[in-house]
Amino acid sequence: MASRLEIRLKKELVDAEGAGVRRKAREYFGFEVEDVRVIRVLTFDTDLGPDQLERVRVEIFTNPVTEESSFSPITSFFDWLIWIGFLPGVRDTQGSTAKEAIEDLLGIRIGPEQGLYTSKIYEFRGNLAFEQVNNIAAALLANDIIQQWRIFSNKDWNKDQGIGFPIPKVILNHKPQVSTIPIKSDEELKKISLERNLALQDRDIPVIREYFSRQDVLAARKEVGLDLPTDVELEYISQARSDHCNHNTFRGRFRYHDLATGHREEVNNLFKTCIEAPTLKIKEEKDWVKSVLWDNAGVGKFDDDHYYVITGETHNSPSNMEAYGGAITGIVGIYRDPMGTGKGSRLILGMYGYCVGPRDYDGELRPHLHPRRLLDGIIEGVKDGGNKSGIPTPFGLLVFDEGYLGKCLVFVTAMGIMPAMIAGEPSYEKTTSPGDLIIMSGGRVGKDGIHGVTASSEVYSEHTPAGHVQIGDPYTQKKMHDFLLEARDEGLITFITDNGGGGLSSSIGESSRFSNGCLVHLDKVPLKYDGLDQWEIWISESQERMTIAIRPENLDRFMALSEKHAVESTVIGQYNDSGYLRLDYEGRTCAYIRMDLLESDFPQWEFDAQWIPPHLRGLTEPVITEPENYGALLNEILSRPNICSRNWIARQYDHEVQGGSVIKPLVGIRCDIPSDAAVSRPVLGSNRGIAFSQAIIPFYSTIDTYNMTAATIDEAVRKILAVGGDPGHIGGVDNFCWPTIEYHPTKNPDGKFKAAQLVRSNWALRDYCLAYGIPLLSGKDSMYIDGNLEGPYGERRKVSGLPTLLFTACGVIDDISKCITMDAKFPGDLVYILGETKNELGGGEYYHMMGYTGLNVPAVNAQGLLPQYRALHKAISEGLVSSCHSVARGGLAVHLSMVAMAGELGMEIDLGKVPAVEGLTSTQLLYSETCGRFIITVAPENRKSFEDILAGASPGLIGVVKEKKELTVSDSHGRTIIREEVSTLKASWKRSFGDLI
Amino acid sequence: MTRISNNNKSRQGQVRALVLTGYGLNCDYETDYSLRLAGAQSRRAHINEIIARAKKGLSDYHILVFGGGFSWADDHGAGVLMATKLRHQLGDQIKQFIEDGRLVIGICNGFQCLVNMGLLPGFDNVYEERRVALTFNDSGNFIDAWVKLRVNQNSHCIFTKGIKTMDLPVRHGEGKIVADDDTISALFSNNQVAMQYADESGDQANGAWPFNPNGSIKDIAGICDKSGRIFGLMPHPEAFNHYTNHPGWTRKKEELRRQGKTIETEQGEGIRIFKNAVDYIRATVMEI
Repeated sequence: MASRLEIRLKKELVDAEGAGVRRKAREYFGFEVEDVRVIRVLTFDTDLGPDQLERVRVEIFTNPVTEESSFSPITSFFDWLIWIGFLPGVRDTQGSTAKEAIEDLLGIRIGPEQGLYTSKIYEFRGNLAFEQVNNIAAALLANDIIQQWRIFSNKDWNKDQGIGFPIPKVILNHKPQVSTIPIKSDEELKKISLERNLALQDRDIPVIREYFSRQDVLAARKEVGLDLPTDVELEYISQARSDHCNHNTFRGRFRYHDLATGHREEVNNLFKTCIEAPTLKIKEEKDWVKSVLWDNAGVGKFDDDHYYVITGETHNSPSNMEAYGGAITGIVGIYRDPMGTGKGSRLILGMYGYCVGPRDYDGELRPHLHPRRLLDGIIEGVKDGGNKSGIPTPFGLLVFDEGYLGKCLVFVTAMGIMPAMIAGEPSYEKTTSPGDLIIMSGGRVGKDGIHGVTASSEVYSEHTPAGHVQIGDPYTQKKMHDFLLEARDEGLITFITDNGGGGLSSSIGESSRFSNGCLVHLDKVPLKYDGLDQWEIWISESQERMTIAIRPENLDRFMALSEKHAVESTVIGQYNDSGYLRLDYEGRTCAYIRMDLLESDFPQWEFDAQWIPPHLRGLTEPVITEPENYGALLNEILSRPNICSRNWIARQYDHEVQGGSVIKPLVGIRCDIPSDAAVSRPVLGSNRGIAFSQAIIPFYSTIDTYNMTAATIDEAVRKILAVGGDPGHIGGVDNFCWPTIEYHPTKNPDGKFKAAQLVRSNWALRDYCLAYGIPLLSGKDSMYIDGNLEGPYGERRKVSGLPTLLFTACGVIDDISKCITMDAKFPGDLVYILGETKNELGGGEYYHMMGYTGLNVPAVNAQGLLPQYRALHKAISEGLVSSCHSVARGGLAVHLSMVAMAGELGMEIDLGKVPAVEGLTSTQLLYSETCGRFIITVAPENRKSFEDILAGASPGLIGVVKEKKELTVSDSHGRTIIREEVSTLKASWKRSFGDLI
Repeated sequence: MTRISNNNKSRQGQVRALVLTGYGLNCDYETDYSLRLAGAQSRRAHINEIIARAKKGLSDYHILVFGGGFSWADDHGAGVLMATKLRHQLGDQIKQFIEDGRLVIGICNGFQCLVNMGLLPGFDNVYEERRVALTFNDSGNFIDAWVKLRVNQNSHCIFTKGIKTMDLPVRHGEGKIVADDDTISALFSNNQVAMQYADESGDQANGAWPFNPNGSIKDIAGICDKSGRIFGLMPHPEAFNHYTNHPGWTRKKEELRRQGKTIETEQGEGIRIFKNAVDYIRATVMEI
């Protein structure tokens, strides 16, 4: 029988969650709500008796100090109530932990047919109309793709019934069955692929048909009782051949044509030529590069006894639909990659990068979620995902641009660490061998993530699972993480990989290539609910699962550890060397595919790429005179969304857990200015560290993606150097997010240009990684960052995101005591600029503020910069540098302000001393975004030593740090053009988002 | 009145600490590391391992650590589900452990667990009553920030002995101490309030944000039982295990360099909390 427990804070206590809703209702919609109180609801669909219910109410679910609760409606005086609960099949982690706690307390098992469901009631007081309340429900509290809600007014409230007994239980009433697919002609298969959402590539269809028509294949299939291909098989092939798993775009053939010069070039395989080849070359030269390009993440050497692991990816489309769920699934998902690298690593940190539409967007297009709400949800998702995993999140970026209204970008990056050797073998090696058992550990399988967003157009009933949107569960995964590390250290794991995109089909499909075959019993896979078809079990993307290979003799020990850690593990098959991937269900074979099928010659994707240089696209430098009020301009630019303080994000992410924080995300005397890079000490007891940083400058793409990429890489490198990183040890991760590059005359008329932008970006990636000696330890590409947004007349307009590259740099620091921060530290210190300033404001923040793009995008001369970088590193290593900050977006003016604001000290700067090309105006000196530059402060007694080391780089001594907290800047004629209190600058910089928590 | 088993005598001189792990707890590596820096022989062990050998009790250990993290994902109240499990599965053993004169520390999620088990405040030596709650921060959100703490010099707290002020990071969403007026007065009159949030000069924060990061009543950051042997605090001493953990270390180092000095010890100040515990065990339990 169903019961419903309602729990609320005692009246006299502050309801912080309710207050937050009230604040947002005012900020977002201008609604004045008197009061909001939140009631937690737990619905029991169990056979617990009254005594048992009362016991769990008192002993588990009610805090006597702060809460009161009842199995009857507990609502009090209100004008409106909003009840919000999950749709069936949406991950209800609190429901699961409630069940676990009840079972533990009462010493019973609650059967799988019973369940506990959490939901919430929001009590509103205030003079609100129904439409307003509905708006709060729909646009602030709930998301209709994972949640349902009901609104009650005080008038229509039945205080005996309350909200009723909502039980979002999944009931499928479906008997699993395998179907076969006719393949008489290419057209027929194409049609069925469309109907069934198989998403087979048109180009692949002839290859697939040919395979299933081969005499030897037919004969072998007959022996296991198969004839025509089954849906399980075609789903498997479709997953394996998807762009996500196979990187067809990056492995494609590009016909590059420069329309200005007429130069034509065929580029065969960007991945091989621009990522793989340079990385393998660098790996030959640098012995710290341990494992790249094949595993879930790259591996570098930390010290003789430890290797670090790094990777990054994006989770864009799901976040765009359900911000919280998408983002938490993204961060928790990326954590599984280092866990599944080599024999498994321990997670040591995560990073984030968000690209969204303007937070205050009030234009006429209607994105599914307003950017403000989208960003709130993304931030919260990564917060819960990171914090609840016990993994610090010490670095991240945020970029606003209207192009991301079409689709937001959520980048997530993770690093792990592992012992160099495990059970006598290098930790980064792993393989499956015939006889190894296939084990699935962690969560159970449901309809999650099957066929992605296409599922969202299906018709819903009360019990249809809303499985296409996932909500990551860091709790389940943290338990699994702890368990697997213990199993690893006992030498039990021979192979491990995660279940992400493609689920088992991908993890087992790929791992069985090592042994050359496998037999999987799909009926042994533990399910969340009955009624899944075989193909659904095989490709479901249900989260928090790893696939592990162990030797049969280790099974008992492995299972004992699994039980100790309260993690579910199940043997679902065995690796073999049969040459076949075979799937059985209740004794019948439903898939039998030769292992070499996927290695056969599937046709390469092809793209036309047409490049038009920026000056022929009509881009020019803008005509702007010198301002009269330089100070006001500086204050204004400091408050711009892409420059201003976003501290509220970093503050809610735990960046200290694991106890190895060395350089934090926010630094300075008040810990409120973003650091260039963060540094962690992952092995406590060792004074070695890891520095890591990210850069993202998509605005330069509008001019030239080659320069965008070069500048992005250089910025990430500079930031690592600024905290004391070594230019000799920098690893990189490339994360591309690109609008669709496949040309279509009406749907994507500029596809050829976007393809050329991608080629040019990759060329820069190759050139600068080679120049700086950066191996690409890992990387991912995410195409299709476009959206069709509804306009005011019911039309839909395509919005494409800027071609975007997030570049992550990491490096090992030999001695963390040599690390430095970017804050000015002592009055009297000398202020230097390293690097020559050029007329490079194109795509920069100053031009943007004035409403222009410009033409002169920064160019990077890596060969010229590298010796300067080495000299700077030497000076920092010798302790000669008091602070160091890389000059990035916004140029010298913004970044001198940062150094002063961080130290809360003044600076007196002479622009005439800034090393620069001839003839720059003061504005150009202040706001040019030329790469390769640093602001450095040095104690006067270190002047000579510092200048000696940097002699070849001719740094400019441009001023001095002052006790008086004032930034003064004089132009080359000695005229003071800026005189601003540092506190005023800081207030401007904090103005835009300073109130956010 | 303090008893130790024969087993312990054979390993005399070793102060043994147990750091609980599992079910979403974290901070275990650095807590274990901090205890070892402080001179203890520390061990991380899964809650289920301890429960499985519950008959053996906790007599192998002198210091029991409920560390930070998100046990059971903080669902249904931070520390609540862990407290329920431990009360029922290990309640007697923990009571015995306390009666034996040993030490218990709860940090952040561990503190939340201690108040939900009723080990704190433990008025009148009744260690099962929930009198204090740690609830949502006034800001409504999780916060990571370094705070200054002032130690009550009249407190019997073993862990804070000899400490006047200390900088430590807080990292929590539910760290606001709430209790009825009588409980709060009793905490003060018994000198059970061991630590309070302070402003930059070390004076009590008086609720001012960001010095008091969560709106805790009377700026309370940590409390102990009357004996001073059970201590719970929201800030994380284990996260200040090395001088480079402190947000001001690069400035401090440069300042010292200019005075011709260097950093005296690499050990972070947070280790003092654990060292006090180790010293106490050496001086009391070990002596008998």
